[in-house]
Amino acid sequence: MNPEPFLQLDRVIHEKGRLAIMSMLAATPELSFTEMRDALDMTDGNLTTHIRTLQESGYISITKSFQNNRPLTTCSLTASGKKAFTNYINLLEQIIQQNKPK
Amino acid sequence: MESNWAAEHLQVIRTLMERSAVYRRALAPIMIFNGALGTAAAALGRAQRIDSPRAFILFWSLVSVVALAGSFFLVRRQALKESEPLWSPPTRRITQAFLPPLVAGLIISAVVLANVDAAPEKIRNAMGLLWLPLSWVVLYGCAFHAAGFFMPRGMKIFGWAFILGGCGLFAVGIPDFVHRPGDYAYGIMGFFFGLLHLAYGVYLYFTEKRRDGT
Repeated sequence: MNPEPFLQLDRVIHEKGRLAIMSMLAATPELSFTEMRDALDMTDGNLTTHIRTLQESGYISITKSFQNNRPLTTCSLTASGKKAFTNYINLLEQIIQQNKPK
Repeated sequence: MESNWAAEHLQVIRTLMERSAVYRRALAPIMIFNGALGTAAAALGRAQRIDSPRAFILFWSLVSVVALAGSFFLVRRQALKESEPLWSPPTRRITQAFLPPLVAGLIISAVVLANVDAAPEKIRNAMGLLWLPLSWVVLYGCAFHAAGFFMPRGMKIFGWAFILGGCGLFAVGIPDFVHRPGDYAYGIMGFFFGLLHLAYGVYLYFTEKRRDGT
């Protein structure tokens, strides 16, 4: 068996919480902080930490604005994030393919 | 085994992607509002004897405008409370799913409204007080069924109830025991756009995930 695909998996995305965030953002142009927090059942602190890690890796961008005098934080995948996520999915598929009985 | 792990990972990713595309506004208040409005409008229309097909169409057009405005207000209030954008991607998808059947209903109503007075009385009553309300019921069901693909709850079943109920009543026509076609039309509207919404709204109220601020 070729261990290459497994070794190539992006460690930033591979973490459970960050993978969940990336998966949700991959399906929609943008999501607010509260939408992600409620959907993933994460604490504010936990979500903030993961978002910061993804932002530092250049995978997501954050927009802070105000809506009716209340702060609104929205996240979206960057082009680099989309590419990294697609690559991650492809590697998972490769792992499945190479383990299929012939 | 690695392949099992990878397959499970992909399944989790798929589920999360689907979940993020789903509309998450609390639907119970919207359903209850529309149900109460539909029931009250049917009772009012029948009591006031708004029976001519033209008046019936105009009356329900006005009710639908109030229903749309009220629903918009409720959705907007929820979005504001949760500091979320009103025009979010799931909201856009829901709107796009709703639009074709609702536009079809609007066009059919306009055509019937333009021609109904020129038709003989029997045809006029059948057009305005049976076929048109049942068309609204069926098209509304199609709209909910389409939107149900982006909603978490049993919206598709709700849509099917309208489609099958509407088609069933099309087949039956106006029963012999009905003396006033207007009463029958208000009965249809009150049941589908009033009581059915109220019942589903109450069900959602007790089962929908209760979130802060909703």
